[in-house]
Amino acid sequence: MESLHTRIRLLWIAEVTIGAVVLGIALAAVNSLFISVPVAAQAGVVVVGIVLGSAYAVRRYQVWQFDLQPDALYLERGVVTFVETAVPFVRVQHVDTQFGPIERVLGLSSVVVYTAGTRNADVRIPGLTPDRARELQDTLRDLAVESEADDAV
Amino acid sequence: MSDSLNRLHPLSAVTYALQHGFVWLWIPVTLLLVLAGVFDPIRAGWIPFVAPVGFLAGVAYGVVYYYRFGYAVTPDTVDVSSGVVARRSREIPYRRIQNVDIKQGVIQRVLGLAVVSIETAGGGDSEATLNFVGEAEATRLQREIRRRTADSRERRRSRDEQTAESEATTDASELADTGPSGDSSSTPVRTPDSESSSPSAGPEPSEAGEPGEPSDTGTDEFSEQRRQPLFALQPRELLLYSFTSVRAAAVAGVMFVFFLATDSIFGYLLTVAEPVGGPADLGSGTVGSYGVLTLVSLLNGIGVTYVLSVAYTFGTYYDFQLGRVGDDFVYERGLLQRYSGSIPSEKVQSVTITDNPLQRLIGYAGLWVETAGYGPDSNGGSQSAVPLARRERVHTFTENLTGVETPTFQRPPPLARRRYLARYSLLAGLIVLVAFGITQVTIFDRWYLAAVVFLAVPPAAHLRYVHLGYYVGDDHIVIRRGFWKRQTTVIPYYRIQTVSTRRSVFQRRLGLASLVIDTASSRTMTRSAPRIYDIELADARETHQTSRERLQTALRERAAADDPGVSVDFT
Repeated sequence: MESLHTRIRLLWIAEVTIGAVVLGIALAAVNSLFISVPVAAQAGVVVVGIVLGSAYAVRRYQVWQFDLQPDALYLERGVVTFVETAVPFVRVQHVDTQFGPIERVLGLSSVVVYTAGTRNADVRIPGLTPDRARELQDTLRDLAVESEADDAV
Repeated sequence: MSDSLNRLHPLSAVTYALQHGFVWLWIPVTLLLVLAGVFDPIRAGWIPFVAPVGFLAGVAYGVVYYYRFGYAVTPDTVDVSSGVVARRSREIPYRRIQNVDIKQGVIQRVLGLAVVSIETAGGGDSEATLNFVGEAEATRLQREIRRRTADSRERRRSRDEQTAESEATTDASELADTGPSGDSSSTPVRTPDSESSSPSAGPEPSEAGEPGEPSDTGTDEFSEQRRQPLFALQPRELLLYSFTSVRAAAVAGVMFVFFLATDSIFGYLLTVAEPVGGPADLGSGTVGSYGVLTLVSLLNGIGVTYVLSVAYTFGTYYDFQLGRVGDDFVYERGLLQRYSGSIPSEKVQSVTITDNPLQRLIGYAGLWVETAGYGPDSNGGSQSAVPLARRERVHTFTENLTGVETPTFQRPPPLARRRYLARYSLLAGLIVLVAFGITQVTIFDRWYLAAVVFLAVPPAAHLRYVHLGYYVGDDHIVIRRGFWKRQTTVIPYYRIQTVSTRRSVFQRRLGLASLVIDTASSRTMTRSAPRIYDIELADARETHQTSRERLQTALRERAAADDPGVSVDFT
């Protein structure tokens, strides 16, 4: 089993912080436009949001694991709902590598594996170094081509 | 190939012209109104002069659009080019085509027109829509595209066989040389090069004078495979189906009418409720009379929705017929609006038996097949193969179709029922809370009466529990769930896309897990993958592993044996 890169925690914490700050700004807007919200409450919401979110991010990192098994890409993830997914290589339609602005700053990259299944069945492996992501993409592509099945979707 | 493009039916020029005319009419009118507000010399009174200009421009555009729209059925692709200013040429390879559907509305039927749409996997939209072609041309197109799709499939299959082992090759070439092998349910007998050979090279001599196809005139120069009827919905079944199914569309319809004519509907409800103790008008009433009014309105609403739903189902599934042509299912249905479509059997992902409590009571059920395409029903590639038939018949159909053995269902542990008990209790608590909230702002005050919903919690939890089941078969996994719309889905292992074991916090506490078996599907937001709910973790893990292994075995076996997967001749 392979874990994600440790810096992914920073990414997730950064995302949570941005979310909490946006929420704080929204509260400030509510304060000045509609009803008064005490400054302490505003700050409290932001701080609690960041703390909970950070704890969640750390736990999420601890849980996240993936593995290239003989027949399938296997993933374990999820804090509230723990999900173990197997994506057989035969079913891989295509593989992308992606990175967003924060990921770019942190030097991280994601691999997205698409299947022909339902929308939420596409899997994304975040928190990989760009080299590892590229390597994984190539491996998955080779494995997918190797095990190609001729049953039309 | 641009020289051989076909045009749509001439009447489409008229409809395009009118459509664009009426839309374009508004462009100069709106512009004029805006400009008239800004600049003084421009007056809104010029509308009668500018509107016809816009209309004529629209008509011209519509006519040009018609002349610039072309389609062609070539040996490898279906080509469609369109566009007046920006041209779009699309070539759809046959192997990607899921189905070809024909749709005819009331007016179109009178005028002898039809809309042909070509669907491919993925995407929420048709790949190409021919709006309109003549009826005969629509049937010709549907047949020819289907035939060529089957041909390309055959070519691919035989090519694969030739590259495969030598022992398999002898069988394949034998089949290709001698034509029909006697067994009608085997793979189609069309040879890979039949299209280049003489047009009279029909697979079977008996097809020349097929009585079931009156429109099969000289236009169809290709030998057409015979259409075999598989299932026709009998009037009795149609009535039962109409009366036992409830459609969401009917609820939407009633809501729509309600918003259109809110006042007169309230007037009607008041008139109906008054003799049985309703208030004289909306402003003056007691708690009791409002209660009566609510009850009467509710009953009326349910009644009207039901009648609409019955009518809708009746109209949609009137004269439903399912047949097969070669390896494809073909169906048609509809009273006012006629649909006809085809489903290649190799595209079938899973098969689902559905029944609701009423249908279970009278011992009937329906059979649906899921493809990854987008159907005219717009419900995510799920097509009705048998809308309603006796349960035993549907079960036999399913077993013939998929080759699944009669399943012996396993149930989740009783612990699961406790989960539902807790979940529904929470829901009931929420309802009481809402009722309490309502009493705070209205004249109703006995909010605790809402607590009767707690009585429904134990039966609800029990019913949900008893309708859960799964069966891990040799070649299929069967999943049953749902009380109001119970679905029993048969998934062949070789159709599995991904397998996931999911455990929420609550499930982990109880040692339970849910298993999601995902198959290829059209990407709709509403469709969720079949799921085995709340089984013990060990069982979930085992089934997870079994599914994965059997997927690999099944794929290997299929590659060797060239198994079409489902048997088309299932009735």
